[in-house]
Amino acid sequence: MAETKGGKKTFKVFRYDPAKGGEGHFDTFDLEIEDYYATTILDVLFRIQREHDQSLSFRYACRVAMCGSCGMVINGKEGLACKTVVADLKTPEITLRPLNHFPIVKDLTVDMEPFFKKYEEAMPYFDPAEEASEPAIVRPDTWERKAIDMATDCIACGCCVSSCTMAFWHKDYLGPAALNRSMTLLADSRDGLHDERLATAMESCYNCRLEFNCTEVCPKEISPTRAIKYIHRMAISQGPGLAQRLSPAPEPVALPAPEPLTPEMSRRRFLGRSAVSLGVVAGAALVGLVSVSALSAAFKKPECKWVSLGPLEKLTAAPGEVLTIYADYSLEDGFYKRQEHKPVLVEMDREKNKVTAFNSRCTHLGCTVHWDQQKKLFLCACHGGTFFPDGTVKSGPPPRPLDRYETKVSGGQLYVLEA
Amino acid sequence: MTIANKLNYRQPLHRGVLDPNRIRATQAGMWAWLWQRISALAILVFLVLHLTLTYRPLLQFCLLFTVTFHAVLGLRVILIDFGLVHVRYQKLLLAGLGLLGAVMLAIVWFGIY
Repeated sequence: MAETKGGKKTFKVFRYDPAKGGEGHFDTFDLEIEDYYATTILDVLFRIQREHDQSLSFRYACRVAMCGSCGMVINGKEGLACKTVVADLKTPEITLRPLNHFPIVKDLTVDMEPFFKKYEEAMPYFDPAEEASEPAIVRPDTWERKAIDMATDCIACGCCVSSCTMAFWHKDYLGPAALNRSMTLLADSRDGLHDERLATAMESCYNCRLEFNCTEVCPKEISPTRAIKYIHRMAISQGPGLAQRLSPAPEPVALPAPEPLTPEMSRRRFLGRSAVSLGVVAGAALVGLVSVSALSAAFKKPECKWVSLGPLEKLTAAPGEVLTIYADYSLEDGFYKRQEHKPVLVEMDREKNKVTAFNSRCTHLGCTVHWDQQKKLFLCACHGGTFFPDGTVKSGPPPRPLDRYETKVSGGQLYVLEA
Repeated sequence: MTIANKLNYRQPLHRGVLDPNRIRATQAGMWAWLWQRISALAILVFLVLHLTLTYRPLLQFCLLFTVTFHAVLGLRVILIDFGLVHVRYQKLLLAGLGLLGAVMLAIVWFGIY
């Protein structure tokens, strides 16, 4: 059993009097609610009407969430006044206002004519495909029935349309309720107006922006978004050729002698063919490129080879100076060979008998690094990248130190291991 | 004469008009739609800044973040559009893809950059 709890609540109710006109305003009513769980918003409205203001206007009929008459915006969210209990609303102040997107007749009463006009446009009636003497049997466990299922529970309260911002921005948009109804009939294999209905639904189903507002507020827990997505998918599968089906081609007549192509026709055909050919060639080239790149790496490891930088005794440099030596060698990369001619930065420390060789490619984007003798720094061609003499980054975008080559001295020659 | 002509109808209210509780009642799907639009504009701004003010790590992170954010929301739309994920899981999808986006962002930023 629900917890019994009551207390004071403030209700701000939207008021608009057509006799006075104007923009409307909110009236505030303080009520002592005996039991939050047993008091609906409709009860509250009755009490306001009896105890405070008899002129308050609102619409209701069944009081059991079946007719949809009492749809309104309760605390910013659409709902049925007869279904929403005060306990559902946690704020001390509760606002009640009429549905959005409908002309206001008086206070909380709106004119539902725009809603039903759009409902009619969606052709909400069933028209059997063929005359049948026996009633059709749709088994409850069929896929067709499950697809329609709860979407048939719509009570046309207008809450979903009120919550949908696209219904406001696109005046011709049929809205979630009408499209939901449309979907229940489109999914029915017995529907005789399928093509006409689909054509109408396709006109507006793409206005849905997947906001899920209609699904969130629906008092019957239907998802019109799901119905609209169903129509989207149906439009993809059945949309092509719909125009031809709706206006069938006239009876074929005897063909006249073929006329020569006009320049416009031939140009269009040429452009079409060229576009297709280019697309095919580009696609094939892309596939080939990707395949070659992937396969070459898989089949053959990159070749590493020792590259000579020349006789060691000829490499002379002042202390603290870095030499730039060009290495010439051939390299196999994938399926082709290439000749390399690239600078290698060599730092020589004769006292310690130590040689360090740096790759002259920047570790950021691969641009060239050179040695600045005055600054005693490696400078990078891109965006002010700077390295210390030991190769570490001083400033700029390069994320890591300069790459070092493995070195060896053999037969008086200095070699670096190049990949 | 119809009723509409007899009565002085007030123009319809719009979402948010005169309603302090409207933002509180805005749900996940609506925020997702709204933030995807905002992130699209943010991408434009950060892309222009990235091209004019090169190699500012903070700017690069902002661009990467907005692109990831936009992609996550776009993936959600694609998955629901093609019926690959049931609309029932739209909120779960937001959380799941958001998490995936955060992981990808971390991998790109800390692992690759």
